[in-house]
Amino acid sequence: MRIELALFASLRRFLPTGEAGHERTIDLPDGTTVGQVIATLGLPDEPRVVFVNGRHAPDDFVLHDGDRLAVFPPVAGG
Amino acid sequence: MKKIVRIDMSDLSVKTEPLPEKWARYGGRALTDAIVFSEVPPSADPLGPENKLVFAPGILGGTTAPNGGRLSAGAKSPLTGGIKESNSGGQAAHALAKLGIAALVIEGAPADKDARYLIKIAPDGSVEIKRVDEWAGAGNYAVADGIKQTMGDVKRYATISIGPAGEMGMKMAGIAVSDPDGYPNRFLGRGGLGAVMGSKGVKAIVLVDEGLPTIEHADRDAFNAAVKKFAAALREHAVTGQGLPTYGTNVLANIINEAGGYPTRNFSSGRFELVENISGERQREVTLERGGNVKHGCHTGCVIQCSRYWVDKDGTYITKGPEYESMWSLGADCGIGDIDDVAALDRACGDIGIDTIETGVMLGVYMDSGRLAFGDGKGALRLLEEEVRKGTDLGRVLGDGAEATGTAFGVKRIPVVKHQGLPAYDPRPIQGIGVTYATSPMGADHTAGYSITANVLNVGGTVDPLKPDGQAELSKGLQIATGMLDSMGLCIFVAFAVLDIPEAFDAIFEMATAHTGQTWDADALMELGKETLAMERLYNEAVGFKPEDDRLPRFFYEEKLPPHDAVFSVSDADLDSVFDFVPETAAKMGISKPGA
Ligand code: SF4
Repeated sequence: MRIELALFASLRRFLPTGEAGHERTIDLPDGTTVGQVIATLGLPDEPRVVFVNGRHAPDDFVLHDGDRLAVFPPVAGG
Repeated sequence: MKKIVRIDMSDLSVKTEPLPEKWARYGGRALTDAIVFSEVPPSADPLGPENKLVFAPGILGGTTAPNGGRLSAGAKSPLTGGIKESNSGGQAAHALAKLGIAALVIEGAPADKDARYLIKIAPDGSVEIKRVDEWAGAGNYAVADGIKQTMGDVKRYATISIGPAGEMGMKMAGIAVSDPDGYPNRFLGRGGLGAVMGSKGVKAIVLVDEGLPTIEHADRDAFNAAVKKFAAALREHAVTGQGLPTYGTNVLANIINEAGGYPTRNFSSGRFELVENISGERQREVTLERGGNVKHGCHTGCVIQCSRYWVDKDGTYITKGPEYESMWSLGADCGIGDIDDVAALDRACGDIGIDTIETGVMLGVYMDSGRLAFGDGKGALRLLEEEVRKGTDLGRVLGDGAEATGTAFGVKRIPVVKHQGLPAYDPRPIQGIGVTYATSPMGADHTAGYSITANVLNVGGTVDPLKPDGQAELSKGLQIATGMLDSMGLCIFVAFAVLDIPEAFDAIFEMATAHTGQTWDADALMELGKETLAMERLYNEAVGFKPEDDRLPRFFYEEKLPPHDAVFSVSDADLDSVFDFVPETAAKMGISKPGA
């Protein structure tokens, strides 16, 4: 399956290399979870905010073809 | 002894009185509320002599309390018609506190409508009121320069000023406050307080704190210990220690967009396809490329330092930030995706002296009427410079904000609560912030109870942003806590750390106790927040606000917002429960309706 991956703020540097920007299309085996993608990318083990298709998703969330996964470090503002 | 300084603009008299015992535990928002509640009749014309404009530093103002130099301004609002507290950074709160002034109250109004006054308070407390009619119509930056020229060798002073919008009584006029570099770029933006200042003939106020000693504490060692504890927590928390200082408030653009709650083209979509161009990440890259400053405090003693300066391609200062709210209102809400266009609009707002949030929402509404294309940044700038600044007939309508504009041009979708434009989070996919917009005595205001925390950011717990469950309770707790922080004079961004780190909360009452010599604890802090809100609610009730006013505009309940196709679904009963504590708090305070 193929998903869209977006990493933001300080996490951008963990994107698989090759292109600029903050988004990639990546191929994954069926049944891959959010937690597995995060582990593969080597994201730091700190709190983070994860969305799949614009909704919060836990680490054991199973991704599907065409999903958009977005990961943020702890951020806020206002 | 802290004092209240009253300047009556009807006869230019100055009165100084000790802070009354009944307000000894008040500062900031609690004190501006108390003075407006007691002294401004609910029937007063906001732009008439009965209204009063109150400036107050918080309880911790003037001290080394981290992020403790925020300023409150209060009055009856020309925009909402209710009580208003507008809050800003800048140096003025510290300067007032060092001058021993708990509240500066501008009263009355001059008979001569063409008179413009400059009020100067010297380090010895003496007040000089000078005519500066030649400054009529000047922008805030010109006023700041004009003041500088009168100051000679004096370096330490803070300014409070209005641009032409305030002089013309426009309902979206704000008040500018100078930052540590003297730029008039921090804003008491919301609710039209600039128009109140203009109605009193006051063009600018200078507070000179040069050579004044540091403020004394009841218990210096205990105060310093609590300061250390508070600062450590702010540095430790990922948001206040890293996210905010690195990217500024606009780091929110991408995450709110991702959540589908980034209001785009007058609240017709929750995602903006050009968000990357105006995001905090992009802002940081461009600012660094151009040699701008990307991390400083808006006032001395800020530990978090979320502020930054925007510079043009030649490295010349244009404006501060722009902050998240401004980048959104003047950007996404208008469909404008050019970051320099947005910065130019932000600069224009700062100079003309108009609230960036209300201005952007107004522009979005105007664009929705079909009179200007969404995305036309140059056209929007022309409207501000040629119409609003000059006070043309069109400019006067636009200058009264989103509701006036939408009504004049027949727009169906007018995103306001209590006549005030909605900030940068759509309440349909982020229901918690909708509760705050609907119920806050301030009108639509995100800062009044920043439910984005648990709804989107996973700070201070988590709730499902698309569901109504738990949202009223969340907003209520945050509104009470915010009333407290605004009264302490603390920047609300400390809340991100306070919500997650218990010691940070303890440090607040420890600082308050050690500084004032009064007894403060967790309960007393919450009581302070409740008292603040009780005064505001009772004032608004007396003005005539009803439960029906604590609602969002109908379209939020009916029009589905993409991408989640969400509508606002918090029940009226839930909304009406938010202020259920008011009768009990008011009874304890011995108040029931506005008046002495
Ligand atoms: S965190 Fe930002 S808004 Fe708050 S006091 Fe510091 S610079 Fe000002």
